Amino acid sequence: MSVLRSPLSLAGAALLGGLLLVGALAPVIAPYDPHALAGEALEAPSSRHLLGTDGIGQDLFSRVLWGARTSLTVALGAAGLAMALAVLVGVTAALLGGAADTVAMRVVDVFLALPGLPLLVLVAAMVGANRLTLILLIGVIRWPELARVLRGQTLTLRQRGFVASARGFGGGLGWVLRRHLVPALAPLILAGFITVAGTAVLMEAGLAFLGLSDPTAVSWGGILNRALLQPGLYFTPAWTWWVLPAGFAITLTVLGFTFLAVGLEPALNPRWRRAS
Amino acid sequence: MTPVGGVVDEPATSPEQGARDPDRPARSRLGGARLAAYLLTVYVLVTINFFLPRALPGDPIDALLDPSQPAYLQNERLRAEITAYYGLDRPIGVQYVDYLADLARGDLGTSIRYNVPVADLLAERLPWTLLLVGAGLTAAVIVGLSAGVHSGWRRGGRDDRRLLALFLGVSNFPAFFLASIALFVFAVQLGWVPLAGARTPFASGQSWFTQVADVAHHLALPAAVMAVSVAADYFLVMRAGMVGELGADHLLGGRVKGLRERRLKYRYAARNALLPAVSLVAARVGTAVSGLTIFIETVFAYPGIGRLVFDAVSFRDYPVLQACFLVLALLTVTANLGADLAYTRLDPRVRA
Repeated sequence: MSVLRSPLSLAGAALLGGLLLVGALAPVIAPYDPHALAGEALEAPSSRHLLGTDGIGQDLFSRVLWGARTSLTVALGAAGLAMALAVLVGVTAALLGGAADTVAMRVVDVFLALPGLPLLVLVAAMVGANRLTLILLIGVIRWPELARVLRGQTLTLRQRGFVASARGFGGGLGWVLRRHLVPALAPLILAGFITVAGTAVLMEAGLAFLGLSDPTAVSWGGILNRALLQPGLYFTPAWTWWVLPAGFAITLTVLGFTFLAVGLEPALNPRWRRAS
Repeated sequence: MTPVGGVVDEPATSPEQGARDPDRPARSRLGGARLAAYLLTVYVLVTINFFLPRALPGDPIDALLDPSQPAYLQNERLRAEITAYYGLDRPIGVQYVDYLADLARGDLGTSIRYNVPVADLLAERLPWTLLLVGAGLTAAVIVGLSAGVHSGWRRGGRDDRRLLALFLGVSNFPAFFLASIALFVFAVQLGWVPLAGARTPFASGQSWFTQVADVAHHLALPAAVMAVSVAADYFLVMRAGMVGELGADHLLGGRVKGLRERRLKYRYAARNALLPAVSLVAARVGTAVSGLTIFIETVFAYPGIGRLVFDAVSFRDYPVLQACFLVLALLTVTANLGADLAYTRLDPRVRA
């Protein structure tokens, strides 16, 4: 697939690869413990603190590096969960048909009508936010629309000969799902995964920005939350080194997923492929 | 892209799916089916709002009492009294009916932090949110659609490439980051607009005109940030629609007739390309209400429902948080219903 070498998807992959590396190596490359009080409060960037320090003297460079971990863990975890649920419900509904299909699609309709962010805020505030609950919540909120897409595509696949013959030769649902449908649906699943991961980055950051984040983990949104609560922040030069790096880190991560999605679209979208 | 049996901005599904959907409502009954689905959604939301706190670990009393207080665990009698006072010792079915009855009377409970009825707080905040969303989306429609028409008409040109890069770039910024940058640049550095709030405090007794100008002055920057955040989507859909019209026969016919460029651009191409854009405009009202207001109002300390959500999260003011959820959710699903109905009215193929 030559589209894999499109400049956009390459740029996206490079961005995300770099971020993954930063996240994985954070304990090694971060100069300070992200929770430690490593210096004076609101120190300007210097050779000792590359991005300065925040309101209580934590090293912001180390915190931004560690933030990549939280962001990518939640994004990949939530996207994985959402896709697993979507495949399970969407494909099974299409294969079973009848009442099971109708019930599943009504459930999807109800889920789709729920306003995602307010619900996320309410539940996260009540359950308490940590990495695991965030992954579960974002995954559960994001699966329904992908389930619907996968159901539609499965319905068309079911009409093709190979699924019918596999069933005819006695292949069970699980076999057909693993052996025939998931490979045929792989491009859609991958596209869905990338899209959900991108929105999950925004959701995690947004919740942390509102103060709903894992108290033990470092989150880019959490950095912005603390900055916002700092009195008079906008009148000190600290705004530039406290707010900008974390904000751009979120933006770059989202951009990475967007580039990947847009660059891969010709390869992933079955309608494009049919047209060409 | 017919909005059959689902939300308007449904992701690209294969055409086969729509045609084969067995439980698709007949077209004439579409409005009725939408309304029924809407009422069901409202009922689900109201019910979620009741059962969620009861289903989660810990009971509502835990939320009321600070765990660090000595009374929290030690005084079992006080705890039982409080539980009885709030009716939490009664069967859950009775509680549920009471809750629905209270809701019908507009009783949303009492704020823990302010100790006033939540309904009063909301009544005070809601107009500001509606004003912000109204102004922001109006600006987004004007900017997004006109830029989209311009960009699509000159596809591949210099303006098109610049606008595309601009909107695509902006759409990747989280709204709260965009808002913080805007605040820093336009309010702090340039001093064009006030830093926070919706009006100048303690400025009563001024003329009517001064007050309106004051509100507009405070509104400008939050509304602009909301407009920019939403406009990117409008731009992309409008541009795609225009590009789709470029090779159309009626456009060629118009050209052969010697019509002027402006007429071709707006009357012939843009008018046809408007339909998908209109449905997106309506569908984004819900997104703007439910998501953007929380972030933008928080950064600008704008006294709407969104800022109330942030404050309620910080103070663990659960009755307020629940009421805000209910109001934002109802606004969102109502906006989505409006989007569906508008689309049905506008597209003769769906209405037929």
